[in-house]
Amino acid sequence: MRRANPKMRDFARRLIAYETRGNKSSETKKPAVFHVFEKLRPQLATLMGSTGFHALLSRALALANAEVPWLPAVHVKADGSLEGLNDREAQVDPEEIAEGRVILLAQLLGLLAAFIGENLTLRLVCEVWPKLSFNALDFGKGDKNEKAK
Amino acid sequence: MKKQNDAATRRSPKNALSQPAKVTIRKMPTGARGLDDILGGGIPEFSINIIAGTLGCGKTTLAHQIVFANATEKKPALYFTVLGEPAMKMLRYQQQYSFFDESKLGKAIRFISLADVVLEQDLNAVFDEITKQVTAANPGIVVVDSFRAVGRKAIGGAGGLEMQSFIQRLAQFLTSWEATTFLVGEYVQEEIRDNPLFTIADGLFWLLQLVERNSVVRKLQIIKLRGQDSVPGLHTIRISDGGLQAFSRTLGFAGKKVNPTGRRRLSVGIPELDKMMGGGIHEGDSLLLAGPSGTGKSAIATQFIAEGLRNGEPGIMAIFEERPEGYTDRADSFGLNLKTPQQKGKLEILYLRPLDLSVDETMQEILNAIERVGAKRLVIDSLVGFEMALAPGFREDFRESLYRMIVALTGAGVTILSTVEVEDTFTALSFSHYTISFLTDDIIRLRYVEIDGQLRKVIVVIKMRGGNHSKDIREYVITEKGVVVIHPRQTDYIRLTTGLPERIGQREEAAPEPKATK
Repeated sequence: MRRANPKMRDFARRLIAYETRGNKSSETKKPAVFHVFEKLRPQLATLMGSTGFHALLSRALALANAEVPWLPAVHVKADGSLEGLNDREAQVDPEEIAEGRVILLAQLLGLLAAFIGENLTLRLVCEVWPKLSFNALDFGKGDKNEKAK
Repeated sequence: MKKQNDAATRRSPKNALSQPAKVTIRKMPTGARGLDDILGGGIPEFSINIIAGTLGCGKTTLAHQIVFANATEKKPALYFTVLGEPAMKMLRYQQQYSFFDESKLGKAIRFISLADVVLEQDLNAVFDEITKQVTAANPGIVVVDSFRAVGRKAIGGAGGLEMQSFIQRLAQFLTSWEATTFLVGEYVQEEIRDNPLFTIADGLFWLLQLVERNSVVRKLQIIKLRGQDSVPGLHTIRISDGGLQAFSRTLGFAGKKVNPTGRRRLSVGIPELDKMMGGGIHEGDSLLLAGPSGTGKSAIATQFIAEGLRNGEPGIMAIFEERPEGYTDRADSFGLNLKTPQQKGKLEILYLRPLDLSVDETMQEILNAIERVGAKRLVIDSLVGFEMALAPGFREDFRESLYRMIVALTGAGVTILSTVEVEDTFTALSFSHYTISFLTDDIIRLRYVEIDGQLRKVIVVIKMRGGNHSKDIREYVITEKGVVVIHPRQTDYIRLTTGLPERIGQREEAAPEPKATK
């Protein structure tokens, strides 16, 4: 079963774009995809514990590794954060990095959806980004579901 | 003397009025059908409750039902998960139940994992984390699932005293914050005596699975519930798409008023049989129709129900052997229409055949149907089939539960006709395989007799409580009009009850049904 399907990738892409736009003024130098994960982490760790989140993200990373050449350099730390990209970032095509981030996030959300269903996954995401409204029945809806941040 | 007067003054109504009112303990619904009645109205607010039992009894499902039934955004529920079932799996499986309202997740119901704190820190840290979350959320309900896992931490760490202190502090804190608390865990009943948790708890709900041959039956016991009149004993529970449902062992009749009725006679739909019974069956009686296979028990039951419908008395037929179509077809062949009353909601034919039914839930099905149609007549066809449809573990309780149901229903004015199949022996006239007469006010026996080279059928009223009845043994036939008791015959026989009678009179009449001539 392919979890990071086009619908899920589209959803992940929009989420990253939304977070990147909202994060323009931020001082953080972390890549946007990691920032999305950092925002998701406390919410998911509260639900499933940091070990649960660590396990889920590790699985998403393993699934995404098959498609993204630069991802094997990345690993999940004990606290559930991602590291390992900073040293290689300059050597990788930015477009590849962007696409890899999308795939990793799509895998994570796809795993969540496989376990608890799309509706609950969307609810969890909405709790992290409360101003963002998604059509609960379709991950594939476009920007029309997005409210002002 | 003066002292006496003073005492009387102190007890006067005027003074009593000025006394402060007793505290009113509000009760929370459980969201589980049947359980509130067993608990005496619901769960006392601000109480500390333990949902205990072994694996797979439905502890977590019950906790979820309570949470979903009560949590609101203003008074949310905090569901702390510890090292038991991971929250992801919990959500995965629990969302299959109809009570699971995903719109409540997040704001009204919050799942919080305590796994990291329990694994990496001590009980003080666990307490601090719970108090932090409770203080922030001001919840109406707090669940810790599994609390047993927290207990293991103490056993692995500082030991029992630390755990006792932890429980004490937690109970005081959660009560002070006006939270109703549920501690869920796998416990065995032997632990009740020594574990301080059970002493502190206000409510103790024990869930268990009983294995009897090939059947497994879930049961619930309210071991204690402070301040409430809960129904004692083991109650059957069933977990289905709607979640956990409980069936009170008193079938909800405890404390209900019995409604005595007059002694109106009701026709059973067979005029000659009515006469034999002294004018029909008394309203609110329980009639047992005993006889071997093929003697027309179901036919009489059908006529009994049809007669009631004709007189504006809705009915229920709980059948365990034949299919409903068999009943409606038979009625059609007798010129009785059961289909229209079914369509109009005046008659329900309940076909109950699964082999793992619990006696309480089967009776609950019947009671629900009686309430739905406002039934005045009930047929149970047959008691043997009913017993066979039950899981083996319930067969021992069968007669006790049946007795409770029959007493309650007849007390409420429902007239019951039950059938029981008995094997004819040609030496005696038995009424059933087991002592059953205490269940019934009236008994009618059908049996085969060999007369003049034919196996004919005879009927006799054995007992009519509260009234005289015919002592005649009458012959009957089953025709296109149903069971018809034929006119008293002139031919005299003795020893009809043995099935092998002897003619003592003259042969004066033809056989009631044609004999083969070649």
